[in-house]
Amino acid sequence: MDIKFPDVGEGITEGTIVKWLVKEGEDIKADQAVAEIETDKAIVEIPSSKAGKITRLNGKVGDVIKVGSILAALALPGEAAAPPVKPPEVRPEVKPEKPEVRVPEVEIPEVRAPEKAAGRVLATPSTRRLARELGADITKVTGTGPGGRVMDEDVRKFMEAPAKPPEVKPPEAAVGEIKLPEERIQITGIRKTIGERMVQSFFTAPHVFSMDEADVTELVRLREKEKKIAEERGIKLTYLPFIVKAVIIGLKQHPYLNASMDSKKNEIILKHYYNIGIAVDTPEGLIVPVIKNADRKSILEIAGEMQKLSEEARSRKIKLPDLKGNTFTITNIGSIGGLFSTPIINLPDVAILGVHRIRDMPVVIEGEIKIRKILPLVLSFDHRVLDGAQAARFMNTLKDHLEDPDLLLLDVV
Amino acid sequence: MPRQKILEMSVDWLQILDPEGNVDEDLEPALDKETLEKFYRNMVLMRLFDDKALKLQRQGRMLTYGSCLGHEACQIGSVFAMRPEDWFFPYFRQHGAQIARGIPMKFIYMYWMGTEDANMGLAPPNFTVAIPVSTQILHAVGVAWAAKIKKQDIAAAVYFGDGATSEGDFHEGMNFAGVFKTPVVFLCENNQYAISLPREKQTASKTLAQKALAYGFDGIQVDGNDVLAVYSATKEALDKARSGGGPTFIEYFTYRLGAHTTSDDPTKYRENAEVEEWKKKDPVKRFRIYLEKKGIWSQGYEDNLIKECSDLIEKAVEEAEAYTPVVENMFRYVYEEMPPNLKEQMDELMSFIAKKKGE
Repeated sequence: MDIKFPDVGEGITEGTIVKWLVKEGEDIKADQAVAEIETDKAIVEIPSSKAGKITRLNGKVGDVIKVGSILAALALPGEAAAPPVKPPEVRPEVKPEKPEVRVPEVEIPEVRAPEKAAGRVLATPSTRRLARELGADITKVTGTGPGGRVMDEDVRKFMEAPAKPPEVKPPEAAVGEIKLPEERIQITGIRKTIGERMVQSFFTAPHVFSMDEADVTELVRLREKEKKIAEERGIKLTYLPFIVKAVIIGLKQHPYLNASMDSKKNEIILKHYYNIGIAVDTPEGLIVPVIKNADRKSILEIAGEMQKLSEEARSRKIKLPDLKGNTFTITNIGSIGGLFSTPIINLPDVAILGVHRIRDMPVVIEGEIKIRKILPLVLSFDHRVLDGAQAARFMNTLKDHLEDPDLLLLDVV
Repeated sequence: MPRQKILEMSVDWLQILDPEGNVDEDLEPALDKETLEKFYRNMVLMRLFDDKALKLQRQGRMLTYGSCLGHEACQIGSVFAMRPEDWFFPYFRQHGAQIARGIPMKFIYMYWMGTEDANMGLAPPNFTVAIPVSTQILHAVGVAWAAKIKKQDIAAAVYFGDGATSEGDFHEGMNFAGVFKTPVVFLCENNQYAISLPREKQTASKTLAQKALAYGFDGIQVDGNDVLAVYSATKEALDKARSGGGPTFIEYFTYRLGAHTTSDDPTKYRENAEVEEWKKKDPVKRFRIYLEKKGIWSQGYEDNLIKECSDLIEKAVEEAEAYTPVVENMFRYVYEEMPPNLKEQMDELMSFIAKKKGE
């Protein structure tokens, strides 16, 4: 008889073997617990429904087992014990239904092989998910939990650890081939995620770039003046919180920019909440923490939150919910350099604002040349949802508020 | 006019048998040997039933199940305080109470195996198990009101947990019962947690029993692990209800020793030390000591009882698993006459099943 791993918790799909409570060859009673299995919900004991002798334990501690698959084999009293030889480990689901389509046995070990290495890591499904989301290769993480189990903390620490020197593969010596001075770097983690997301965005959303300049002389003065007050509260006041506020006013007036697209249903989703993603440069790559409900926060609150989230992003302590839910994104390219750039939309948003370096520029005002503080702005937008006119109107609203920051006061909540 | 106190109220606490099995002889109910044995037998049967259900669930032979471990005294003591003709409204952790009410165990197992037909094992005055929290309170109050109008000599007993006291239905039912003096007893199994929410976060009230005072009737807190106190308090309340004295609220102060359901991990919200403290107050153990002092219980008695109960349970499981559910029954008994939309759903499902069988 097979002792199977049932769905013990309303819709679970898998569990991890934490401990075997019986040995092969052991006589057990009906209802005696055979193994401890950890699921997404709890650690549970799985009992046998019948008495008998355990002839085989299917899997090692740490193995992930699917609901419905065989946990152990049991010889019932009077039944000939199954041969003690371990058959090749087969996923029981592949049990052939019709004899004529039986899979040739010799092929089975090959099918099974690639899964084995990953299967040995002891970790809960939620930790595995965390690893996947952070881009950590869980097989390389050292577990500190009971029995060497990989814990959430281990995954986070692994990702925080100073990047290991890039794996340099020695050029393969091939006869008659010229060795070029190259090195190969494995694409993993954040780099991999960025790559996938950018490809998805750039090749799904037809991007249009709308460029403009704002005269932020007044904003510079305001920020210089209020910087100290912020500092006294331990907050570094940058231009970004002001830009966030001006953007939100723009989004409220032009709601199609604070939206996403459901291409399956052919619907545009207008969002009546304002979660602003801020792209942060980290040693491992770009990370976008999200300031939730930014419309309901003051400039100083936004500055404080931004500071906290950027630090967490750089030290890899940021929590997943803080990286999700964006409705519009701002990328601040100016802090490093460059005149203009063409940012790629951060899905599911339909637009992204690139903010560049403020420079002293000669500007003609009422027939005279004046030196003013000029901020270059680029808006990339998804042409499926928006047209150039809407984007230009949004940019005008944005510019008005950046050029005359007193206007921001009018919308203070 | 000076400011003065216009209302003073209090709530009693009742315990007859302490955790060490010492009895308060002044309060001890006069029960014969046969009755005491019946109490104990049902408490043991309930515990074994529960243990088997948990194992069946872990073997994939049963769906989600809520353990009643620790509730033996409040369920068995209260059911035996009822008369067979009194109405019984259980909630979803009432397996022991159902057994004591005479509902065959195979139907209780069948129900938790997901067989709607299991309700065929019920008949008035035994109501179906309420899965939604506190909806049954309204039914019980209504039935009690009807009994009053019809001048029937019966009462309604409705069970629920501590979490139900935060529901609107609870307050509506309590208010109505108070105003119309319906013959109903509100039996609250306060097991300290509503899933993961501890009792002190459920309400700012010091006791749950005092909720009755606001609605104009008595509330009492009873040691829910003391079967004698549960029996005495419940019997008194039911007698009062039947004789026109109106409703009573009884708070059985107890503890859920197991998880909320088989999908719950209580270690995430409570300390093991707390569970260990409550195990010392085990309702079965203290009653066993009491029976031993009375010369009723012995180890041999226990062994025979366990054997007898285990056999009954195995037989009930066997019968429950042998039953093939009749799918149409889940539509048939919702309304007296099946409405067209339900008929349509039934026909659709039946043709789907027929098609699947054909494949």
